[in-house]
Amino acid sequence: MSLTEKYRAKRYVDILHQEQAVKDIQKFLKEFPKKKALMLYGPAGTGKTSLALAAAKENDLEVLELNSSDLRNRLKLEETLRPATQQSSLFKKGKLLLMDEVDGVTGTDIGGIQELVKLIHSTAFPIVMTCNDVWQSKLSPVRAKSKLVEMKALDIGTTISLLLKISEQEGLNKSPQFLKQISIKSQGDIRAAINDLESYSRIGNEEMDMNDRRNVSQGIFNILRRLFKERQPFLELFDTTDESLDEILLWIEENIPKEYKNEALVKAYYALSSADLFRGRIYKNQSWRFLVYQNAFQSAGVSFAKDIPLDGFTRYERPKRILKIWLNNQKIAKKKTIAKKYARMVHCSTKRAMRDFTVLTPILKQESVQQKLKLSEEEIAYIDSLR
Amino acid sequence: MSVVNIWTEKYRPVAFDEMVGQQEIIRRVRSLVQALNIPHLLFAGPPGTGKSTLALIIVKELFGDKWKENYLELNASDERGIDVVRQKVKDFARTKAIESIPFKVIFLDEADALTKEAQQALRRTMENYTSTCRFILSCNYSSRIIDPIQSRCVVFRFKLLEKKDIKKRIEFIVQNEKLTAQDEAFDALYDASEGDCRRAINLLQATAAISPDITKDMITMVSSAAKPADVRVVLDYAIAGDFVGAREKLLDTMLKDSVSGTDIIKAIQKEIWNLQIEPDIKVRLTEKTGEAEFRMIEGSDEFVQLQALLASFVLAGRGGA
Repeated sequence: MSLTEKYRAKRYVDILHQEQAVKDIQKFLKEFPKKKALMLYGPAGTGKTSLALAAAKENDLEVLELNSSDLRNRLKLEETLRPATQQSSLFKKGKLLLMDEVDGVTGTDIGGIQELVKLIHSTAFPIVMTCNDVWQSKLSPVRAKSKLVEMKALDIGTTISLLLKISEQEGLNKSPQFLKQISIKSQGDIRAAINDLESYSRIGNEEMDMNDRRNVSQGIFNILRRLFKERQPFLELFDTTDESLDEILLWIEENIPKEYKNEALVKAYYALSSADLFRGRIYKNQSWRFLVYQNAFQSAGVSFAKDIPLDGFTRYERPKRILKIWLNNQKIAKKKTIAKKYARMVHCSTKRAMRDFTVLTPILKQESVQQKLKLSEEEIAYIDSLR
Repeated sequence: MSVVNIWTEKYRPVAFDEMVGQQEIIRRVRSLVQALNIPHLLFAGPPGTGKSTLALIIVKELFGDKWKENYLELNASDERGIDVVRQKVKDFARTKAIESIPFKVIFLDEADALTKEAQQALRRTMENYTSTCRFILSCNYSSRIIDPIQSRCVVFRFKLLEKKDIKKRIEFIVQNEKLTAQDEAFDALYDASEGDCRRAINLLQATAAISPDITKDMITMVSSAAKPADVRVVLDYAIAGDFVGAREKLLDTMLKDSVSGTDIIKAIQKEIWNLQIEPDIKVRLTEKTGEAEFRMIEGSDEFVQLQALLASFVLAGRGGA
């Protein structure tokens, strides 16, 4: 059995860092059928499926699992559900319908969403669904019918303490420093963290590459070399890799200064800026036609920022920006929750409160204000730690 | 229930007569409220000039004690897209107002943070619920609100508060909180507030936390500590030819205080004129900065656009641009 299965949370108490979500699902099951469906949404590895299974266990419910393809296969759906929706009284045990990863329903399966809405309408048992991004438009009919419950990405501290526990129980003897690295790398995805721990426990190698968060193929280094040195082929350059254009853009952004100086530096970034300009237009208007322009600026545009390419070998580096932003988000997470509470009280935006945080700090240090804002102990500790 | 000791709340005006400045707007709004029917409203103006306060006063006048049930406040810059706004509006508008007044009020703050497409969607939402809801939108620039929305609203343009208005409010608080303050301190406070009453009051409270005797120097100290991150360091690195260093400083600066790309651009544009470079290069850099700001709005990644701009500063440091 893999460690992720072995240490999957079984009861509410095992679910880490999701107090609100646990409360919400308890309330949902208690009040059923006031709302018939509940949607757990949040990033991968935050415990959505675990929470659904734990809820079933706590309430002694039998879990009936459905996936999106079942939805479209009406015959099969009815077969699976008939006992669940109609003969409920014959079964002593109640049931819970679990629909994992509803955002996996792709464009051509849109009919599946309609079926899901019908199912929510007719069900005699609570439905729990999970998805990563609940705000996509195709899910809007489901959203309207469901109670939405957010699952937060885990913070580093929680991840580390879980890894420590597992490491001890499994006798892996990993150093806290090593576990911290895994935790940082996981970016709040606990499944990824446990998987990493397991893979390293077998190799027994304490050296890990902090950057191999996403498993980048060797392809990207070849692309950079072709782009900066060989300067061919141009437009088909990115066809040879599975990496997305966005990912490649980050890599180019990171490494331009290694290849270009002065005028060429300006020209190269101007080309990249143009690529981003068209990307913005693609996103805003869904004008995918503009992709050819993004592609052209990002390849040939950057390539020909100077007449003669730099000779010799260049050691390209992985983009640091995304990891840095994520680490920073961890650091300011407390600040943000405080700003949010404050903003609601004083009728301004969270952004504004974040910007003014330095001025607000002495105000937030008052005990009466902290009580009024219902700050948690951790939040108070954060405020007190500020000068 | 005691009032929270956050002065921007504690001293938020709760009646028309308590507001400072904006007298013409208040006169017109008051007559609308007295008729117990308001159209959709659009409040445009700089931050801290009384837009949210006036919206709150309107609902309190209309609904009395029951204002909380009949009022929904949303902030467009905090909500995750128009879909969320629509859902919340829908949930709120589903039930009818209980009072003698046949509508509820939705206050959408910073509506200009919505994209044009989102505003189109908002327009439809406004139409759908027009029988049960009135919208009060607030924004900094009415030009960023699409015409169809403007034409559905009565537009009020809030002016920057005058020095005497802010002073009046501050003096009132100073008296109430049993503080003392020199005249010079008022001046310093007004300068640091840039006409934003919220900022002025926050600065006052932060300063009063140090000592009840407010002096000019204390105000200056507190307000300079609170200045948003300095782009000067970033530009110095760039002008000195260290692109990678400048880029790193820039990212740190933006992350530390959660500063947006557009705020950075504004700060850069101001700082150009203080740099030790030839005037003609300053002009060209200003052009580049304007171009970068424009591209930032159209593009998708602020940081890519800022890097392109930094590269121009590196070149400027060598006499080009």
